[in-house]
Amino acid sequence: MERLILRRLSADGEEMILNFGPQHPSTHGVINFMVETDGEVIRKAIPEVGYLHRSIEKIGEKVGYPGFMPFTDRVDYVAAMFANEGYAIAVERLLKLEIPPRARWLRAISCELCRIASHLIAVGTMTMDIGAFTPMLHGVRERETVNDLIEALCGARLTYNYHRIGGVAFDLPEGWREKTLRFLDHFDRFLTEFDRLISFNEVYVKRLAGVAVIPAPLAIDYGLVGPNLRGSGVDFDLRRDLPYGAYPHFHFEVPVGKGFQGTTGDCFDRYYVRCLEMKESSKIVRQALDTLPEGEFMAKVPRRIKPEPGEALSRVESARGEMAYYVVSDGTENAWRVRARTGSFTAMGIVEAVSPGLMVADLVALIASLDVVAPEIDR
Amino acid sequence: MTEALPLPKTASAARRRARRVLALTLAVGLGLPSALFGAVLVLSPLRHLAPPGLSPGSVFLFRALCLLLLAVVLVTFGAVISGMTVWWEMRVSSRMQSRVGYNRVGAAGFLQWVADAVKLILKEDLVPKDADAVLFRAAPYFVIVGFALTFVALPFGESLIAADLDVGIFYLLSVSALVVVGILVAGWSSNSKWSLFGGMRSAAQVISYEIPAGLAAMVPVLMAGTLSMQGIIRSQGAWPWQWILLTNPFALLAFLVFFVAQLAEGNRTPFDLPEAESELVAGYVSEYSAFRFAIFFLVEYGNLWVMSAVAVTLFLGGWQVPFAGPAAFEAARGVATLPGPLWWALEILSLLVFVAKTVLVMNLIIWVRWTLPRIRVDQMMSLCWKYLVPFAFAAFVGTLLWQILLARVPWVASLTGAVLTLGGAVTAYFFLRLTYRNIAAVGDRVDLSNW
Amino acid sequence: MPETVRAYALAVGTTVRSFWHGLSITLSYLLRRPMTVQYPDRTALPVREMLPPRYRGFLEVDVSICTGCQACERACPIDCIAMVLEKDPQNPKQRLVTQFDIDEAKCMFCGLCVEPCPTGSIQHTQEFEASTRHLRNLTFRWSDPLKPWPVYKVPKDATYYPRALLGAILRPMLEARAWDAPPPEFLPPEPEGKPAPAAPAKAAPPLPAPASAAPPKPGP
Repeated sequence: MERLILRRLSADGEEMILNFGPQHPSTHGVINFMVETDGEVIRKAIPEVGYLHRSIEKIGEKVGYPGFMPFTDRVDYVAAMFANEGYAIAVERLLKLEIPPRARWLRAISCELCRIASHLIAVGTMTMDIGAFTPMLHGVRERETVNDLIEALCGARLTYNYHRIGGVAFDLPEGWREKTLRFLDHFDRFLTEFDRLISFNEVYVKRLAGVAVIPAPLAIDYGLVGPNLRGSGVDFDLRRDLPYGAYPHFHFEVPVGKGFQGTTGDCFDRYYVRCLEMKESSKIVRQALDTLPEGEFMAKVPRRIKPEPGEALSRVESARGEMAYYVVSDGTENAWRVRARTGSFTAMGIVEAVSPGLMVADLVALIASLDVVAPEIDR
Repeated sequence: MTEALPLPKTASAARRRARRVLALTLAVGLGLPSALFGAVLVLSPLRHLAPPGLSPGSVFLFRALCLLLLAVVLVTFGAVISGMTVWWEMRVSSRMQSRVGYNRVGAAGFLQWVADAVKLILKEDLVPKDADAVLFRAAPYFVIVGFALTFVALPFGESLIAADLDVGIFYLLSVSALVVVGILVAGWSSNSKWSLFGGMRSAAQVISYEIPAGLAAMVPVLMAGTLSMQGIIRSQGAWPWQWILLTNPFALLAFLVFFVAQLAEGNRTPFDLPEAESELVAGYVSEYSAFRFAIFFLVEYGNLWVMSAVAVTLFLGGWQVPFAGPAAFEAARGVATLPGPLWWALEILSLLVFVAKTVLVMNLIIWVRWTLPRIRVDQMMSLCWKYLVPFAFAAFVGTLLWQILLARVPWVASLTGAVLTLGGAVTAYFFLRLTYRNIAAVGDRVDLSNW
Repeated sequence: MPETVRAYALAVGTTVRSFWHGLSITLSYLLRRPMTVQYPDRTALPVREMLPPRYRGFLEVDVSICTGCQACERACPIDCIAMVLEKDPQNPKQRLVTQFDIDEAKCMFCGLCVEPCPTGSIQHTQEFEASTRHLRNLTFRWSDPLKPWPVYKVPKDATYYPRALLGAILRPMLEARAWDAPPPEFLPPEPEGKPAPAAPAKAAPPLPAPASAAPPKPGP
């Protein structure tokens, strides 16, 4: 792999070829970047992935449909609820199953809380990569509270395994609604403080504004999704445009990058779109808690799940963009193929296109603003 | 898990253990630096002695031995100060980040730096095969020499200075530039691209920022009329409106320039590009381990102290004790060979004043470090050359004109002092009010528990 | 870069303003309570008692109400439960569970085994502090092959299942165990074609989980 990449880098002795990773504090997991630089300015940066490949998709062919649910957590362990939901929706489509409304609302609540947690990590690690260590810890502190809430809900803090084929595993525990509303009150005010602390800090803005601009056509061409795409100005959000679950019942804005502090599509736009999305998620959770319908939280599913041969595709708006699950069934208890399409994988492609001309520090900012998590790339 | 020390079983045993730990901590914390500094003060005049009955050769040997001992003690003193600075920074920064920080080894975690130093000494000493053998090993020595030499001229108290050089501040600025030689040599000799990045960045940074630092340091020199550290301090008074910082608006500007430039010299965020953790793993110290790394680490935090001490000397009035001017010191000295106890008390008071002011400035540096992000290399250069150097020149020229003004109209100094102190107090009031309001704005409370 | 004096002054002004806010926020945190929980010795209660009831910690089996249906074994996606049921030689109507091993080292604490259990015998407790020196000690053996227990027959008019208090069985097990207890000895695999060697007089060494005695099942 390295030789393949080295041939593409046209080293003629003047430039340095640097290995940025795989063990590196700021590549958000084990990813390697082969970087050809001329002093501080990069000529080309090519990502080299695969260090975190765990054959999750192959495992999907072995453990059966309900058994695969914990493995979907591990596809993107920072925002695991979305993977759960995507897989569950795909299999429910295969089974042609309608899930009860309460289950849909609970899924939305857990997913939006998970989105808040994931974005806190995203913006936190971004600030840490840019050099401010404090906002990361403040973000992680808020995430601890979200983790505590989800732990009370389903029993785990990272690999939730909360959604099931046909609904969710548990109903809300006693007092959870009040705890969550109290947290959201605090969190909305925390976001203002976070903005004052770091988002509008002049040094931070100068580091990110106008850096690594990804124009909208390029973003669409490279298949970017989620906040990366919206940061480039493309107004597309699966929750609003291809709605699923309980989202048609909620009112929320979709933040789109418009050059908040520089050009549309620069690192600051992608960062700030995430900050705004956290506010919107908080609104959605409030609405969902207010309008939570009564009823069952799990549909009637057969004891052994053996869908008819066929295929199903589900697309959910994960924290990192569109997460699509493509499940092919051959009539047996194990799936024939499970494929997870994740947003970080395509974000790797754009690094090579946008990196020429950046400085090393800007490359760090670019990778951080794309919010890549290595497990999602390699699965 | 086995415990190194078994946890105390009863509450009273726990209390006794806590008291013993506190006693050990105080002994180390107050005793160690005092003992070392006392040794420095005693040995400094000793080396001029010529003990009777010794041949000239032996006298030379005696003096050389004294000098060697003095050097060792000074370096140890510097290391101890830097260790305590590490502790202070970690405690302050951890509370800013909503966590507790060091609190197990020693009372309030004070002995953690001792544990860290011992651990670093015991680690494997790795020299990369392709690294330049001589330069790789020599780099830490440049760095620590550049650091330890500054302690010779730091004015800890009214007479508590190892050597009151006539060219005090000039000596300090030039000797602390040895550190950049060490960093450059470390970056080059590690034979690793990351280290090279770090070394190059550091060279650019420190050399560029010497200029505004030097220019801004000239402002107090102009106002005091002398390069000597004690002279600069003696030209100031003890109260804020008598400090150089507040008697001259250009000195305020010079202080800001000096502060920023010293941050850059010391590789502190927002200027910690040479060792930017998130980008270059550890920059120029990537390949260093064990004691060699300990030296770099020690010098970085020790420089924090030195930076603060120099800023305090130049701008904040040094060790000047309120209500105790030079006359009080003279009177307390008496005419006997050894001064009376009042003099010693005043000296210790001046030492405490100096330490308190240095810790204050140190807190400012720590605070800035843990709030601001890092700037990029090109932004750092443009900041230096487009912002700091013009401001430094403006401050310098302004001070020249100010001195001419003062020669004609002497009471302008006091007026400016009063006005700027008032302005500073008002600014501080609004700032602290905003700080207090931040807490309620998020729904928290003031809560000093959880140490 | 700022080209005009106005842009220059604006740059300095926004810098000062943003620093003013940022520095005041960081200073205010000095006065707030850090959120560190000083585990393990400076917490109000042991952490396991502060965890929510649904916490998915180590698994515990109340063998007195286990019906031997093997639903947990089938549900586990990583095959870390191994059960062997045999007929009681004295009473052919009764089934005995001769092996019920859960390899907690492999377990991913997903909770899929807890859901299908008809009596709620297998549950996740709130224990998480069970680290040991030897990895094999993490295989919890809920049945001893030399003293197998009979499966629970649910009474016809049962309104509840008399399960022990959650954690009451596991906690003494964990406390009784030394951290560096020696690992169980494994017998070497039997050579092909030869009769099985006689078991030694003392307690038979535990069988390796889950391969040999359990019916051949393709491992993960």
